[in-house]
Amino acid sequence: MTGEQSKRVRALELIAAKIRRNVLDICMQRGGYAGQGVALADIAACLYFDEMRSDDKGWFHDRFVLSNGHDAIMTYGALAEHGSYSLEELRSYNEDGTKIDQSPIEGQLGFEITAGSLGQGPSQAAGIAWGERHQGSDKRVYCLFSDGELQEGNVWEAAMFAGHQKLSNMVYIIDNNDMQATGSTTDVLGVEPVPEKFEAFGCAARRVNGNDIPEILDAFAEAKHIKDKPYVMVCDTRLFAGIDCLQEALPTAHYVAAHSADWQAGLSEINTTLAALAD
Amino acid sequence: MLLAERIIDGAPFDEISFDLCSRRPDVIMMSADLSKYTQLNRVKKELPDQHLDVGMAEQNLISVAAGVAKAGYVPVATTFACYATRRAYDQMMICMGTGPKTSIVIGFTPGIANPARIHHQAAEDLGMIRAIPNTTVIDPMDVTEFKQALDVAVDLPGLVYLRGHRGDTPRLLDPERYTFELGKTCTLREGANVGVVATGHATQWALEASEILQKDGFDHSLLHVPTIKPVNESEIVEFCFAHDQIVTVENHNIVTGLGSLVTEVVANVGRGPRITRLGIPDVWAPGGTLAHIRKELALDADALASKIRGVCQ
Ligand SMILES: Cc1ncc(C[n+]2csc(CCOP(=O)(O)OP(=O)(O)O)c2C)c(N)n1
Ligand SMILES: [Mg+2]
Repeated sequence: MTGEQSKRVRALELIAAKIRRNVLDICMQRGGYAGQGVALADIAACLYFDEMRSDDKGWFHDRFVLSNGHDAIMTYGALAEHGSYSLEELRSYNEDGTKIDQSPIEGQLGFEITAGSLGQGPSQAAGIAWGERHQGSDKRVYCLFSDGELQEGNVWEAAMFAGHQKLSNMVYIIDNNDMQATGSTTDVLGVEPVPEKFEAFGCAARRVNGNDIPEILDAFAEAKHIKDKPYVMVCDTRLFAGIDCLQEALPTAHYVAAHSADWQAGLSEINTTLAALAD
Repeated sequence: MLLAERIIDGAPFDEISFDLCSRRPDVIMMSADLSKYTQLNRVKKELPDQHLDVGMAEQNLISVAAGVAKAGYVPVATTFACYATRRAYDQMMICMGTGPKTSIVIGFTPGIANPARIHHQAAEDLGMIRAIPNTTVIDPMDVTEFKQALDVAVDLPGLVYLRGHRGDTPRLLDPERYTFELGKTCTLREGANVGVVATGHATQWALEASEILQKDGFDHSLLHVPTIKPVNESEIVEFCFAHDQIVTVENHNIVTGLGSLVTEVVANVGRGPRITRLGIPDVWAPGGTLAHIRKELALDADALASKIRGVCQ
C-alpha cells in the first residue's frame, strides 16, 4: 500500500468506527438492528465517504438504494457522520411518533424507496440505473440488499433484467451475513454459491470481505472497469463485526432489544478503537 | 356525447400509446412479454427507445417501472389486469404507491373481458387498488375515454391504475363532445324511478339495457362513474338520493367494486335508497366468448334490463 492509500484507508477506518459508535448510541435508546449496523460500518464508510461522488448541494451525485429496510441503521450511522442528520434526532429511532423509521419510507432523506417489504430494491435500482443510462447521465447506482432477500424471486428477476440490459452503471452490494430472521441462512434455506449465481445471470460478481476496507475499495474500483455487466459485491460479514464483545455476546441477534445488550461494554470497546485510530 | 354510430377500432392502444409517446418523450411504455396482446406494437417498432420489456416477470415489471419513475420518467406498465394486481400487488402498493412519482399501470382484459376463466379474469382489481391510500383508479367505458384518461394520468402523482381496452368493443363517446375529467361522473340518461350506476366496460352493457328499457317506456337514469378513486361522493350522493332504487352494474366482483363503493358512499349519508349490485356475483365466472359469459352471469342486455325493471316489483 502506498502512503496515500494507507492514509485513505485509515481515514475510512476512523469513519467506520464513528459509524459503529453512532449505531450503538441510536440502538441503545430503545433497541434496534445494531448487529447489522455495526457489521456494515466498513461498507458504509467506503460507500458514503469515498465511493459516491458529492453534488454541489452537499448531497450525493450517485444514487444509493437501500433494499433491506432494517439496514437503514447503517445509513443513519453514516449520515450522522455526514452531518445530514443529527444524533439527537436519530436517537428517536423506534420511539412512538418518530420520523426516524426503522425501515424508512420513500422520500425520507437518504432513502430512495420504501424498503420494508424485502426483495424489491434490486429491481427498483435496476429501473433507476436503466433510466439514468437512458438519459445519458453518468450517475452510478448502488443497491444494498441481504442474503435473506436472495430467497425472494423478485431479486432474481432483477438480476436477469440487469444482466440482460448490461447495466454496468449499477453495483449490487450484498450483506452476506449468513443470518436471517429466524436463524442462519445456511439452515433456513441456503443461498450459496452467491457469486456464481449472479454470474450465471449475466453479472460480474466477486466475493469480498465486508469488513476489510482495502478489499471493499478494490472491488468498487474494479466495478468501474467492468464493461457491459452489472457488478455484484458479495460481502461476507457477521453481525456486530468490529465490536468483539457484542459479537461474542450476540452472534445471532437479528434484532437487539434495548435491555438485551451490554451497550456500555460495546461503547467502551468502540471508544478504545476510536482513540487508537485517532492517534 | 355518444356517437351516433358505434365504431370498432381494431387496436386502439397501438395508436393511443404511439400518440402519447410521440408527444411525451418522458413516457416509457413497459411490457412483460405481452406487448402484442396489449397492442403495443407501433411504439415498440417505431419508438424503441420508449419501450422496455422485462420479460414474463410482473413483479419485476412493476418494481423496475417504479425505478424508471425514480429516474425521472413516466413509466406505463402494461400487462393483463390479473397479473398486474394479483402477482405484483405488493410491488404496486409499496414500490409505486408510497411515493410521489407518477407510475401508471394499465390492466388489460379486466373482469370477464378475457376468455380464459379464473386465472386470466381479474374480477377484484378495482377493489384491490382502491384500497391503497392516495391512488387513482380509473375504469374507462370505451376507447375515447381510455385515451383521454391516460392523457390525464401522465400528470398525476403516485400510482395510477387504469383498466385497458383492447378494441373488441365499440367506441361510444364522441371525442369532440366528451372530455374526461378526473373524478367527474357523467349522466348518460336522465330520468326518475330507478337510477343505474355503471363503470368501465359495464357502462356499455348498461347502455344496451337502457335502450331496451327506453323502448319499453321504463323510466330510469344512467350515471357513468369512470373514476373509482378519488371518488366523487357528492355527485354519487346527489344521483342516488334522487331515485327510489339504485342498480349498480360493473365488470367486476360485486364485492369491493363499484357496487360496494356506491353502497359505502350512500351509507355514509344514511337512509338512502335500496342498492342492487350487479356484476360478477362473487363466483368464478365461466370462460368463453364475452357474449357467452355475460349470458351465463345474466349480464346480457335482456337479463340486465329485466333485472333493472325487476327491482321495482
Ligand atoms: C417480503 C418480506 N417477507 C418477510 C419479511 C419479514 N422479515 C423481516 S427481516 C427478515 C429476514 C431477512 O433476512 P436478512 O435481511 O438477511 O436479515 P439480517 O441478516 O439483517 O438479520 C424477514 C423474513 C419482510 N420484511 N418482507
Ligand atoms: Mg442476512
